[in-house]
Amino acid sequence: MILYPAIDIRGGKAVRLTEGDFGRETAYHDDPVDAALRFAEAGVKIIHVVDLDGARKGAPVNVATIRRIADAVPFPIEVGGGLRTPESIADLLRAGAERVVIGTAAMRDPQFLAEMLEQHPERVVVSVDARGGKISLAGWSEPTDVDVVDAIADLTARGVERFLFTPIEVDGTLGGPGFEQLARVAAATSASVIYSGGVGTLDDLKRLRAEAAPNVEGVIVGRALYEERFTVDEALAALA
Amino acid sequence: MAEPAPQVLVLDYGMGNLRSVEKALEHVGARASVGAGRGAIRAADGLILPGVGAFPRAMERIRATGLDELLAERAAAGTPILGICLGMQLLFEHSEELGGAEGLGLLPGAVTMLDAPGLKVPNIGWAPVRWERESRLTSGIASETPFYLVHSFVARPSAADLLGTAEYGERFACAVERDSVFGAQFHPEKSSEAGLQLLANFAGICAKAPAAA
Repeated sequence: MILYPAIDIRGGKAVRLTEGDFGRETAYHDDPVDAALRFAEAGVKIIHVVDLDGARKGAPVNVATIRRIADAVPFPIEVGGGLRTPESIADLLRAGAERVVIGTAAMRDPQFLAEMLEQHPERVVVSVDARGGKISLAGWSEPTDVDVVDAIADLTARGVERFLFTPIEVDGTLGGPGFEQLARVAAATSASVIYSGGVGTLDDLKRLRAEAAPNVEGVIVGRALYEERFTVDEALAALA
Repeated sequence: MAEPAPQVLVLDYGMGNLRSVEKALEHVGARASVGAGRGAIRAADGLILPGVGAFPRAMERIRATGLDELLAERAAAGTPILGICLGMQLLFEHSEELGGAEGLGLLPGAVTMLDAPGLKVPNIGWAPVRWERESRLTSGIASETPFYLVHSFVARPSAADLLGTAEYGERFACAVERDSVFGAQFHPEKSSEAGLQLLANFAGICAKAPAAA
C-alpha cells in the first residue's frame, strides 16, 4: 500500500485542520517546501498536497507554493483544493502536479468531469468526502443527503479510475481510520481508492494493509507524521 | 568534491517545466542552469534534453532554434547528453507519434506506441527497472529499483545501446547509452533517491568528460 504523506497549505504555510474546521488549525512548517523535502529523504513515492485556501475559495490560491514544491521534490505530487474549472486544472498540471484531485465539481458537473477524465487520463482523482455516510461538498462546508456508496457507484460508471475517500468525522483526529466506511466504499467500486482520515498509529496502518480491499491502493497520512507519532520510514515499513 | 562541480545545462526549448530537473541536479552537487543559448550549450560540461508533450511539436521547436545541429556537434565532441522521457525518444531517428516525425538521429532506432493490449495508456507510475548491463550511469543503483514513468510511446534501440528495461504489456527500453549519449524514459528527477543517484552519476560523467570547446 502506498503512503501519501499530506501537506495542507494555508496562507503559504503547512498546516493541519481538525475535522476540516478552519477555526481549528495547527501550523507545522512555515515553508511547505521544507515539509515536502523532509519526506524526500525517507524514500516517499508521492505526496498529497491540499490548497486549503483554494478549497475554501473554490479556486486555487497557493499555486506558486505548489510549483515550488513540485520543483523541489524528487517524486510526483498529487494536488487538490478548489479545482473546479478546466483552466485551474491545466494551471496545476503546468505547475508540476502529476495528479489533480477534484471534488465538488465532479459531483455537480458531470460534463466537466467527463471532459477532465478524457483530457487528462490517469491524472484525475475524484475526492469523495462523507460525514455520517453522506456526501459533503465545498471543502466539507456543505452537507448533502447523497449516500456515499451511491455516489461512488455512479462516479465509477462515469469512468472515474481513482478515488480519494475521506470520512470527515475522523479526519485530523488521530483516532483511527473509518474502517467500516472504507470497506463499504471500496466494495462499491472497481476503481482504485486512496484512503484519508484518522490515521494516528502504526497499528492503524498495519490494519489498513492487512484488512483493506485490494483496490485500496494507498493511504494519506498527515498529522501523525507532523506530530512524529511515527516516522516516515516506520510508516513505509508498516505498509510494505 | 575534489574536482570542480560540472556545469550541466538543462535545454529549454519551450516544452514543459524544467525547474525540477535543475533543482535535482543542484541537489546532487552539479552547477545547473536552464537555457538554450549557443554559447551556454558549447560551454556546458553536460547537457540534459528534457521533454514533455508530443514528439513532432518538440522536434519542430528544436529545429526552429537550431538545437538539432548543436546537439549533433556536442555529441560528436563527446559532451555527455542525457535525454529524459520525451527527450530520450527525441535522440532516435524517427517516431510514429501523431503521424510521424524525424528525430535527432543521435541513436539508431525508432519510437513506436507501447504494445500494451488491455492496459491503460499512458503508462503512469512506478515500475522496477532492470539493468541489462553495467554502466557508469547506473552505478550504485540496484537492478529492479522502481523509477517513475509517464509515457505512451517507447524507443526501440539497437541491442548494443540498451541499458535498462521495464515491463508494461511488453518489456520495453527505458534506459539507453551509446558513447556519451544517454537516455532515460523514466523521470530521474521524480524517482526519489535512485533517480537522484542516476543524476549524480551523470554529473560525475560530465565532470570527467573532455573539456568543453
